[in-house]
Amino acid sequence: MPTASLSDDLPPQNLHPLREYQAPELPEPYYDRYEPDIPIAIDFGSLSVRIGLTNSEQPSNVFPNLVSKHRERKTGYNLTLVGNDLFRESVHYPTLRSGAKSPFDGLLITNWDYVESILDYSLEHLSVTSENGCLNNPIIMSEPPAATFGYRKGMYEMMFEAYQAPKVVFGIDSLFSFYANSKKKDGVVVSIGNNLTHVIPVVKGKGILLNSKRIDWGCEQELQFLQKALALKYPYFPTRLNQSHTSNIIQDHAYVSPNYAEELATYLDLDNLEKKDVVIQVPVEAAAEKAKKTEEELTRQAERRKEQGKRLQEQAQKKRLETIAQKEKEFAYYSELQEAILGLSKTEAERRVIAEEFENVEDLHKYVDGLQKAIRKFYNGDEEEKEEEVDPAAAWPLADVSDSELNEEDIKEKRKQKLLKSNYDARMRIKEEKRRAEEEKIQYDKDQQEWRARDLEDWCTAKRFELAQNISLYRKRSKIMEAMKDRKSLAAQQRMKNIAELANEKATGNGAGKKRRRNAGPTATIDNDPTDTFGTNDADWNAYRDIDKASLEDEQERTNSEILRLEEELLEHDPNFHHEDTFAVQETFDWKNLVLHKFIHGPRQSLTVAMQTEGHDADELLNNPEVIRRNHQLHVNVERIRVPEIYFQPHIAGVDQAGITELIQNILERNSDKNFEVGGQLRAFIENIFLTGGGSLLPNFEERIRLDLRSLLPSGAPLHVYKAKDPQIDPWRGMQKWSFTDEAEQSYVTKQEYEEYGPEYIKEHGLGNVCLKDF
Amino acid sequence: MSETKPESNAFELSYVTTKEHCFKQNPNRPKSTNRRFKTAKQLATDETRYLQTKKLNIDTPTHLSIAAPPSLRPRKHYCDITGLEGRYKSPASSLRYHNVEIYQEVIKHLTPGVDQEYLSLRGANVVLK
Repeated sequence: MPTASLSDDLPPQNLHPLREYQAPELPEPYYDRYEPDIPIAIDFGSLSVRIGLTNSEQPSNVFPNLVSKHRERKTGYNLTLVGNDLFRESVHYPTLRSGAKSPFDGLLITNWDYVESILDYSLEHLSVTSENGCLNNPIIMSEPPAATFGYRKGMYEMMFEAYQAPKVVFGIDSLFSFYANSKKKDGVVVSIGNNLTHVIPVVKGKGILLNSKRIDWGCEQELQFLQKALALKYPYFPTRLNQSHTSNIIQDHAYVSPNYAEELATYLDLDNLEKKDVVIQVPVEAAAEKAKKTEEELTRQAERRKEQGKRLQEQAQKKRLETIAQKEKEFAYYSELQEAILGLSKTEAERRVIAEEFENVEDLHKYVDGLQKAIRKFYNGDEEEKEEEVDPAAAWPLADVSDSELNEEDIKEKRKQKLLKSNYDARMRIKEEKRRAEEEKIQYDKDQQEWRARDLEDWCTAKRFELAQNISLYRKRSKIMEAMKDRKSLAAQQRMKNIAELANEKATGNGAGKKRRRNAGPTATIDNDPTDTFGTNDADWNAYRDIDKASLEDEQERTNSEILRLEEELLEHDPNFHHEDTFAVQETFDWKNLVLHKFIHGPRQSLTVAMQTEGHDADELLNNPEVIRRNHQLHVNVERIRVPEIYFQPHIAGVDQAGITELIQNILERNSDKNFEVGGQLRAFIENIFLTGGGSLLPNFEERIRLDLRSLLPSGAPLHVYKAKDPQIDPWRGMQKWSFTDEAEQSYVTKQEYEEYGPEYIKEHGLGNVCLKDF
Repeated sequence: MSETKPESNAFELSYVTTKEHCFKQNPNRPKSTNRRFKTAKQLATDETRYLQTKKLNIDTPTHLSIAAPPSLRPRKHYCDITGLEGRYKSPASSLRYHNVEIYQEVIKHLTPGVDQEYLSLRGANVVLK
């Protein structure tokens, strides 16, 4: 069979292990060049913290923005672990990993105690020392575009009240990244962050927040979406995926589709799927050991099954014996009755027989005959009983003699003989019919043979046509049968209607008919109403069939056997008709045509289904190590592009906002001078479209934005879309670079100013937010 | 388990964070006044209320004003089960589906509640309050 061979030919799919977040081996480093008065740059992202003194080119510490608290039972000591340490220590205290919490909830900081722990921890790692109890370094701090009042207030309080820093400046992380990367002063910044995605136009080195837009979607939301989607795809999956699993799935396998609609349309085609399906294996143990056990168990199982079969056989035999005993009893009783009624007159006999609940004497004879046959059959085994040839005239001489020539005794005998003779005749008739049918079949075969010899092609087309007709009939009928199962379906309702109508006719129709017969004479009865054309059309009789469900099944059975017969003939004689063309094979489940199967099980047949069709039982399936392994596999296919697509069509995840490209388009069309010439604002924008943020690490992100924008712009427009060198670290680099500028020097808010103007106050600069304080 | 592993230094690591820091010695630090835990939702309401008290120019960018507007492009429909193109919609559950197979095999037999789970992926589920 091609199905099986093809899947056997294919190599097994590559397996990707399910990965958890692994912290780097080395402990968090301590900075060895601490000096006071050198600015400390802190990129406090919701996913990770990057911190360092600006006398270094790189942030000295980068760690996940997580805190985990654990109460040590023995000592009663409260452990507070931060960042990568908690992952490294989770070998000793597993709850550390599961209890890790971020100070952020979505885009807002909800837990300032955690923030303080994290800042304490990072400042310690910067080897900050102080003699006056204060932090003697200026702080450059990142914040989201249009940061909330609560965020800035909390940070100010932390910096000025807890650490008593001399001065602090806030700036927008993505703009710092732009500052670190871009050689030009104008452009559009697209920042795909952990919780939020921003599109910010930059003019002359200044972020124009007024025209910026934010999509409430980021990596974190991606994770949750994928997690939910996978949980729905595999509702019985044995292990629970956590955030770090899904995060790694996205990191390793998700990619932005350059042309989503096109790629999606063919994603589940087998050859595409072969390339794109990703299998993720969750580790399973003890599978091999279990399999060995079944080896012994199997023999035991087989024995048990055999025994059970034997017992069943014995039971059946016992039952048969019982029934035959019953039959023998009946036979004895009724043959006595037969004897008895021989001597009675016709009417008297009839009366006796009817009293025994037979319809007439004939019925009794038939019944007794049947009993006799059954008994004989039982004792002779199941062999065909042979009818001994008898000469009717010799065996029953009295049968054909008229009554007048016989005496009382002989008449009785004659009745008996007549009966036996009629039985014999009936048997002969049946035999004759059988013979005739056989002859007909031989004749039919001969005809077919001749037809084929004459014109094989014609024969084939005729047979195939007949087969097709039967198949379509079969399909139609099975549809009706399927519909009948549903009480509310149209077919079932039609049937109920028919039944109701018939019942109605029986109740009133008969009475009416009789009345009419009496009144209007025989012309107007139902039976010979000249206007009634019921029955002239063959389909009319379907009305009766509709009512009887059982007959539908019978007919289906008949059609099926007809199909089988035709196929057999075709298989034998039509050179172009093969086993794969038979109806049965076509109807069997072919996973290659099933979208759902490919979606869930990828480009290989599900082993469970395959084994089930081969007739393995549930126990075997449960213990098969390969099945267990497969049950621990996730196939990620459509999700690979579906999840990143949300950035471009947020409505996929129910976010009622425009996608990234649409936002860029809005900026280009509404908020620029629409000037494509050199020096024009629009030109400056499209020449410098800049991607940053952890989310932009997905493959093809720039490619997709480029293609989408290309279709909106006139041909030859100098579009340039590019990604930050290191989207995760670059905001910090920008801060470091910016810290040496005059602009930075002028933008610091001192402790004194903070105390005077309050937490609303910031000094506006090109890379920062707008000050909301009214003066 | 911890016998086979290298000695845990969780205590030292924790001490780094929790010890008295030489750079955090402010005797006048105000007691954390408003450290009551607030959920993100409450914080967002706080922000809205805060912005309402301000006399802001219409063109001042705020946390609320920079939220992206709804899309004006025609929406494409996707299958709620597979993510493929979803041309059809089940009238009973309003789930979108790719083809008749998905309908016959999945949507028809969804146990109650699961349809809402699928809908919640795209935020179209019914939320009772």
